[in-house]
Amino acid sequence: MSAKRMPDSHLATDRDTTPAWPARVAERWRGIGLSLIVVVATVWLGVTGQLGLYIHPRYFGFTLVMAVLGLAFVVASFFFPALAATEPAARSSRRRLLLSVAGSGVLLVIAAVTVLALPPATLTSATATQREINSGGLDTTEAAEQAATLVGTGDYERLSVKEWVSLLAQSDDPALFADKTASLTGFVLPDADDPDNVFYVARFVVTCCAVDAQPIGVPVYLPGWSNNYSTDDWVEVTGTFTPNPSGTAQASLAVEPTTIDAVEQPSDPYVY
Amino acid sequence: MHTDRGSIRRVPTGLIVGIVLVALAFTVRALSPAFEGWGLSDRTQDTVTLALSVIIESAPFVFLGILLSTVVQVWLPHGFLLRFLPRQPILRRAAISLLGMFFPVCECGNVPLARGFMVGGFTVPESITFLLAAPILNPITIITTHQAFGFGDGILITRIVAGFVIANVIGWLYSRHPDPDSLLTPSFAASCARPTGAGADHDHAHDHGRPQSKVQTSVDLFARETAVIMPALFVGSLVAALTQVFVPRSVLLALGSNPVWSVLAMMALAFIVAVCSNVDAFFVLSFGNTFMPGGIAAFLTFGAMIDVKMLALMRTTFTTRTLVQITALVALMSAAAGLLLNYVG
Repeated sequence: MSAKRMPDSHLATDRDTTPAWPARVAERWRGIGLSLIVVVATVWLGVTGQLGLYIHPRYFGFTLVMAVLGLAFVVASFFFPALAATEPAARSSRRRLLLSVAGSGVLLVIAAVTVLALPPATLTSATATQREINSGGLDTTEAAEQAATLVGTGDYERLSVKEWVSLLAQSDDPALFADKTASLTGFVLPDADDPDNVFYVARFVVTCCAVDAQPIGVPVYLPGWSNNYSTDDWVEVTGTFTPNPSGTAQASLAVEPTTIDAVEQPSDPYVY
Repeated sequence: MHTDRGSIRRVPTGLIVGIVLVALAFTVRALSPAFEGWGLSDRTQDTVTLALSVIIESAPFVFLGILLSTVVQVWLPHGFLLRFLPRQPILRRAAISLLGMFFPVCECGNVPLARGFMVGGFTVPESITFLLAAPILNPITIITTHQAFGFGDGILITRIVAGFVIANVIGWLYSRHPDPDSLLTPSFAASCARPTGAGADHDHAHDHGRPQSKVQTSVDLFARETAVIMPALFVGSLVAALTQVFVPRSVLLALGSNPVWSVLAMMALAFIVAVCSNVDAFFVLSFGNTFMPGGIAAFLTFGAMIDVKMLALMRTTFTTRTLVQITALVALMSAAAGLLLNYVG
């Protein structure tokens, strides 16, 4: 944008020389349209109990209240006419106007397809492999304390992936884990170093929203596991801990499975 | 989408169209999961999921910011806050840099506000101070940064202190300028000299022409603010998600674990993705495990003040030369803050 253009563009906001109507329509409805899409999707996810696929439960209330308020504004903006004045930003050339109109249209279509049409989904192993497993996201001390209270009851099968991971983070002494049966539900994630013999029963830990999800998991030793199960399958594994027979995998302990059952993905796939 | 001209003539069908569109969106959303088999690859699917999580997490904060700023701009008496500012220039700028506490819209919303302030009697350096400080020193930014990072690693404190210092140092530098009006674009300088020409600013809209109802002005403000913020939020979220899914982890780790490169890389990212300061903490959270705290702090400081979208908005008010100077100054000081945190913190 050249400096010479600026005076015209500023004056243009005053009256008759307002930009062509497609640019005005784009300017007026771009934000409202995108808000409508997000607000509707949020309310729907909230009503159908799937908001947890994207954000931490502590935000549910706030997010839904603001979404309903946003919806009120969106509907109201259809009722009230636009005020005459528009922002003087980038009002210069025809090409720029065209770009703004086209950009708004493309963005609205992309938003409608991805936010409204695509089925909601949990994160997959693609993100898990991109982030190192058991490397963060979990306050292991706090989780281990919770686990310790459960361990006190002797009911090891009630411990979840999260609790086993935090216990394993505290100690990998085989004697501590001997004779303890674990029953774990999670998705199948191949071990990075020994993908043929070891897979993780994995979950994502979410701190704020799915973007900060960190994979955690308990290693399972089963040579040739991929003949029967595929990555991202949800399984329930029962078995006992042994020193990991794999020579290459990092984890020193692994579960030797007695049963592996395919299960449905839980309605709340993340842990917090 | 085509109700614009209709609603200008106050045809009540606008409301019906609005409700129909909302109902249509709900219908599409409710029916679409029945059609499986989009056949997306895991990576594409995760890109959408990650982008969507940033958008859904951020949107309520965007709405809250617009709501609060609407209350101040439309529902409080005009110039209400400006009466309480001290007269001594340095104290006055320090107070102005905290005005964002009452105008918690991120940087995009602050440009029109700063223009309004200048027309209403702020000096140019004072508006620059407001423009730079308000995106960081406002309650929503502070809350979201705290939600994302807590007080750990000194990220929140660095962001707040650096934001305050940078805004005031740059305001002070420009207060030494012999002719501050030359920092402005000629057209905007002219409209400052002739206050009635500022028809484009929200808080003056009611000064001339037909009086508008406050509700109508509020709704209009919502349309304008979302028109600027929502596209930036969508594009920013998509860039964030694509970076997460497609840039190899080894590259991120190599950059992020180096005290200098972590700062420079995050500042470059902040400049490009242009996520609003209200919600950029959620965006950058995904880099929290790979990047050093100084890089995160530099992202949160630099990106809140300067980015591609912000420069485009500020170009309506300031000359290119001024913007280059401000950008360079903010970049240097943000980098310094980040490096300090990496090496000392």
